[in-house]
Amino acid sequence: MAAGFKTAEPLEYHRSFLKENCRPDGRELSEFRTTTLNIGSISTADGSALVKLGNTTVICGIKAELANPPVEGPGKGYIVPNVDLPPLCSSRFRPGPPGEQAQAASQFIADVIESSEVIQTEDLCIERGKLCWVLYCDLMCLDYDGNLLDACIVALLAALKNTQLPDVTISTETSAPEVNLEKRRGLHIHKHPVATSFCIFDDSVLIVDPTAEEESLATAQLAVVTDEEGRLCSLHKPGGTSLSGEKLQECISRATVRQREIQKLINKVLHSVKTDQ
Amino acid sequence: MLSTLKRRVGEVLLPGDEFSYDGDDTISLTEPVRPEKVLCGPGLRRSGDRLLVCKSGVLRHKQPNVFWMDCQQKRYVHAKGETVIGIVTVKSGDVFKVDFGGSEQASLSYLAFEGATKRNRPNVQVGDLVFAQFIVANKDMEPELACIGSSGRANGMGVFGGGGLLFRVSLGLVRRLLSPHSEVRSDLEQLFPCELVIGMNGRLWVRSSSVHQTLVIANLLQSCESMTPLQRRELFTRVQQGAL
Amino acid sequence: MAVMEARCSSSVMLREFACEQNFLSQPDGSASFVHGDTSVYAGVYGPAEVKVSKEIYDRATLEVLIQPKVGLPGVRERSQEQCVRETCEASLLLSLHPRSSLTLILQVLHDDGSLLSCLLNAACMSLMDAGLPMSCLFCGVTCAIDADGQIITDPTAAQEKESRALMTFAIDSKKHNVLMTSTKGSFSVNELQQCIAVSQKASEKLFQFYRDSVRRRYSKTL
Repeated sequence: MAAGFKTAEPLEYHRSFLKENCRPDGRELSEFRTTTLNIGSISTADGSALVKLGNTTVICGIKAELANPPVEGPGKGYIVPNVDLPPLCSSRFRPGPPGEQAQAASQFIADVIESSEVIQTEDLCIERGKLCWVLYCDLMCLDYDGNLLDACIVALLAALKNTQLPDVTISTETSAPEVNLEKRRGLHIHKHPVATSFCIFDDSVLIVDPTAEEESLATAQLAVVTDEEGRLCSLHKPGGTSLSGEKLQECISRATVRQREIQKLINKVLHSVKTDQ
Repeated sequence: MLSTLKRRVGEVLLPGDEFSYDGDDTISLTEPVRPEKVLCGPGLRRSGDRLLVCKSGVLRHKQPNVFWMDCQQKRYVHAKGETVIGIVTVKSGDVFKVDFGGSEQASLSYLAFEGATKRNRPNVQVGDLVFAQFIVANKDMEPELACIGSSGRANGMGVFGGGGLLFRVSLGLVRRLLSPHSEVRSDLEQLFPCELVIGMNGRLWVRSSSVHQTLVIANLLQSCESMTPLQRRELFTRVQQGAL
Repeated sequence: MAVMEARCSSSVMLREFACEQNFLSQPDGSASFVHGDTSVYAGVYGPAEVKVSKEIYDRATLEVLIQPKVGLPGVRERSQEQCVRETCEASLLLSLHPRSSLTLILQVLHDDGSLLSCLLNAACMSLMDAGLPMSCLFCGVTCAIDADGQIITDPTAAQEKESRALMTFAIDSKKHNVLMTSTKGSFSVNELQQCIAVSQKASEKLFQFYRDSVRRRYSKTL
């Protein structure tokens, strides 16, 4: 009976749960799914992390390459994020060039990196005007069950913390770069931005960490990104129904709590990785 | 609400403007209390106990209680009972598909012509112009046209064309032409005698004594759109004096 | 062409803005919108026939295309398209035209800051011009916070570059609530609330401007 109800009237089905302040998967309105994190899962990458948020799985690999610094900023490097939503992760994605959602997610990640200053691009410069690092951050969704942005940001942050760049010196005779793969050092992470996504149901009910089904039924979505100082790095609401000031405040408070949880999780996992070695 | 609405007739309203039912109503003790009913035309919507404007334009009123928004729209949205000029695009079995400039094609049964029977099929070819009215027009169903009225008579509808010119004007101009005492129409009649078919979908068809005159009429009508009555009369007088 | 200078007594400063509706012959609705030197053209086609693959059984399909001044649309344009589309979807009554398609094309002519808000304003004016049913109007306002913590509304490209944070809001005409937000740079909660309040104030001016320009358009038929 319940299954039939769910198929025929998905919106009514969700409403009947939300009326009782809970959700079909048993969570409360402001409860996240279990977040699991694995750091350093790809040994061939310079840094990597795998995040599971309920069923949603995102893997992030970071590849560092040497390049010429940009003309407009000779003392800077680049960070190039890319989100890939392959047909593997959900039936809604088709093979071929990236769709709107993947492109919008890539842009969002790039904006967060720039706004939060998680890494200062000046740190990536090796020799001013001559050589710098390019960090290619490839985020691949393996299983899509909603809340892609949160998972991507956690994966990116954990992978950046895991990244070890080899030491590079420029030889004085040939002026060619010499890479010393033995000697590696980590990146300096200035800020720890964490995203928290919300969905608005029926113009009024606010739920956190939506599943794919909840996302498709909701009337609006928004993502709040905060850092450890409680500053907002991004408030991304692409449209949908309007949101009152009090509700927004509620979202921001929830996001600051979430930021602390995630930062703790990342530190714990990093610590356990170190003790294992 | 009726009084508030009446007060604002002729004003320009924007989507999102609202009228609420309650307000300045006072119950008269002498007159029998009649619930006020408002008939909403295009551009007005009822949402709960409010009346919502959903198109920008001028609020119009017709006695006793019909209100609508007069909107200068270009795209035609079909409505039941309206007569349009369509072009037959497909002939398949029992129905013709007719393009009328809307979001989908309308179907026209071969029996929906005056005097048509299963034996006596009407002579309709792809590319023909038809003047027909909507008998089914709602957002959830395929629109359906017919070239006969409820009495089974053609009433001027059916296949037409040949030697004339079809062109497009705005929906606002079409409505002005179709109004009972249209000045544009009467001015034109005085100027050139012609055959004029007006479709509510913004299509006009003209035929007159010569190709030259037909073109002049088409150009005059198209230029009417952006003219005040005064400017139009001036232009028509100039044409009458042989400016063209 | 309707021009209004908005340098009134209150603290909200907007550049001169102008709008012209129905200036293209082919689209069903069109509008040009200018904020200072930022200028955008918008055209709407629809409700028209929809591709079977994009058909939605209970509402119209809205497609938004943003054409940059030079080159091909890229990732940035995609993200802007998403913002404009979802804002329009919230204010349009799409369920009144099921199984049809609406296409909104936005052509950037010049970008001198506050581009996203100019895109939103042009979109709203062109949708209104096309006579599509809408439950409310919306407008876009961009705020920049400069190094001293001052809020600048409707910044130019140079002001945007110097700013510490940049926020664009879409505000609805009914309750002046926030429909869309897109931000850049980091800022405190307090600054966010201030910017929202300023934008809500600025939106009143824009909505009054909308009303004046529509009135001017219909002045001939009054």
